[in-house]
Amino acid sequence: MDTIKALIIDDEELARSIIREFLSDHPDIQVVAECSNGYEAVKAVTELEPELLFLDVQMPKLNGFEVLELIESDLIVIFITAYEQYAVRAFEVHAVDYLLKPFSRERFDQALARAREKRTRKEFVPRLDILSAAKPSNEPAERVLVRDGSRVFVIPTEKIDYIEAQDDYVAIRSEGKSHLKKQRLSDLQAMLSPRKFVRIHRSYILNVDRLARLELYAKDSRMAILKDGTKLQVSRSGYEALKELL
Amino acid sequence: MHPILANLERFAVYIIGWLIFGVMIAAVLALPKDFSWTEALALAMPLTVIYGLICLSSWYVCRFYTLQKTPIVQVLAVQTIASIITILAWGVVATGWIFILERGVGIMELQTRVVAKGPLLIGINVILYGLAAAVHYLIAAFEASKESERRELQSRIFAQDAELKALRAQINPHFLFNSLNSISALATHNPAAVRAMTLKLADFLRKSLRLGSQESIRLEEEISMSLNFLEIEQIRYGSRLQIVQQIDDVCKGCLVPPLILQPLVENAVVHGIAHLIDGGTISIEAQWRGSVLHVHIENPIDPDRPRGRKGGLGLENVKKRLRAIYKEDAQLQIDDRDGVFRSDLWLPAQTDLNLNRPSPETVPTTLPSQM
Repeated sequence: MDTIKALIIDDEELARSIIREFLSDHPDIQVVAECSNGYEAVKAVTELEPELLFLDVQMPKLNGFEVLELIESDLIVIFITAYEQYAVRAFEVHAVDYLLKPFSRERFDQALARAREKRTRKEFVPRLDILSAAKPSNEPAERVLVRDGSRVFVIPTEKIDYIEAQDDYVAIRSEGKSHLKKQRLSDLQAMLSPRKFVRIHRSYILNVDRLARLELYAKDSRMAILKDGTKLQVSRSGYEALKELL
Repeated sequence: MHPILANLERFAVYIIGWLIFGVMIAAVLALPKDFSWTEALALAMPLTVIYGLICLSSWYVCRFYTLQKTPIVQVLAVQTIASIITILAWGVVATGWIFILERGVGIMELQTRVVAKGPLLIGINVILYGLAAAVHYLIAAFEASKESERRELQSRIFAQDAELKALRAQINPHFLFNSLNSISALATHNPAAVRAMTLKLADFLRKSLRLGSQESIRLEEEISMSLNFLEIEQIRYGSRLQIVQQIDDVCKGCLVPPLILQPLVENAVVHGIAHLIDGGTISIEAQWRGSVLHVHIENPIDPDRPRGRKGGLGLENVKKRLRAIYKEDAQLQIDDRDGVFRSDLWLPAQTDLNLNRPSPETVPTTLPSQM
């Protein structure tokens, strides 16, 4: 039989137990692990490579949307929450379905049927949609999440020095370390506060608090000297953006 | 702002009043034939209106030496001095005006004739000052009563609003949905736990509906409602949620507004325990300190959690409600440091005088006739 590896992610034991119970009617779904927080979930997804997630939204440390943001593999996700307002965001990330607590066995079976269908048609959650929905509406992000293997780093935005584009990745420099994240520089820029972070160059976003001074080094070309001595190139449009803010 | 100057209508009435006085004073001067009507009007009208304007300053005296707070002898003394100063000021203006009329317009011997009427004019001015002061005291009283009416209305609206919000927060739909999900999860394997949970939920809902509509309840009842809520959450969170309570016996009879602790306890769970992987302990303490009841609620909180999402609204409601009920006599202090969230509530310790009143637990909630 074609089995589907699944992960149950909820911080409440009772909430996990009812999913387990409802799954007992579906031998094709094999629960490979149960996780009680977002960190465990990211680790389990990386190591166990499940195809289906039962994902609670409200959890300690990382919420359900943030867990998705950190996972790169193609997944089928069923959101489970007591909050109706998350249903809208669940749709935004093209989740297969969402279940509002408490839910009936019939409703659960229906969600599973939809999940199986999506799996055969290989309709997974698109990465870009997740990244845009992971952040609660218009508020600028207060932290950036980065995963290294199965480890998760939470970087508060005020601790970011600057961000550099590197092919498909961005390198986030913070406290002397560099964290790689698979994201476009412009997408990351859209998440950050425009009053703190400026795109000074095609390849750089600068935290303006780190800027020590600007030096002119050729016509229309400037260097931003950071407080720690780092030099970053500033383009003409980058200079205009900086001037506007300072 | 001066109440007469601030309102154009009032100012017009005031000036018209003084114009009438001006005509009356002119008549007093013209009727004994010492002055012609033209002379009397030219002299009295502008000077009376100017005197009226000077008298406006008595508002500041009236406001500073209010009738309520100042002994009447002192009010009389102060107002006498003020009237003398006012009349002196008027005297200076009058001298100038008489000079202009004599030299500029050419009215003969005006000064001598006015000085002859001096005592009469001063007497009239003293009376007019008294009238102006009386008007100002009346306006002050009127404004004060309007202000207190407005404040009372506002505090009533605040109280109602806060109560409504507290009630709505009380029956937080997410709390209910999550509890119902726990019941649903327990249904197959643990019917006894299902029964226990439904009873706790029913108990909590009934208490909040019954006590929420009262003006004040005993601290004992308030705490028992908070514990009831926490026990329900305990079923959901399991060992992640621990409860410790230390309520001094003397405090139990203190009267508190119903559901005043509920937003604090709910915050402790929703913004504290729920965001900690290993959970923690919520502690509730109540002590009697002199004439003050002190309730302290403490819970661990995730220090890494971004600020600005920590239940500001619930706390704001508690503060508003306290202000509406106790004015400056109650206080809620929040302290969020080193991973611990502390709420300290100080209330005037008011006790239930009727100690023999039966505890509500023994009062049947459904009367036999209704069954």
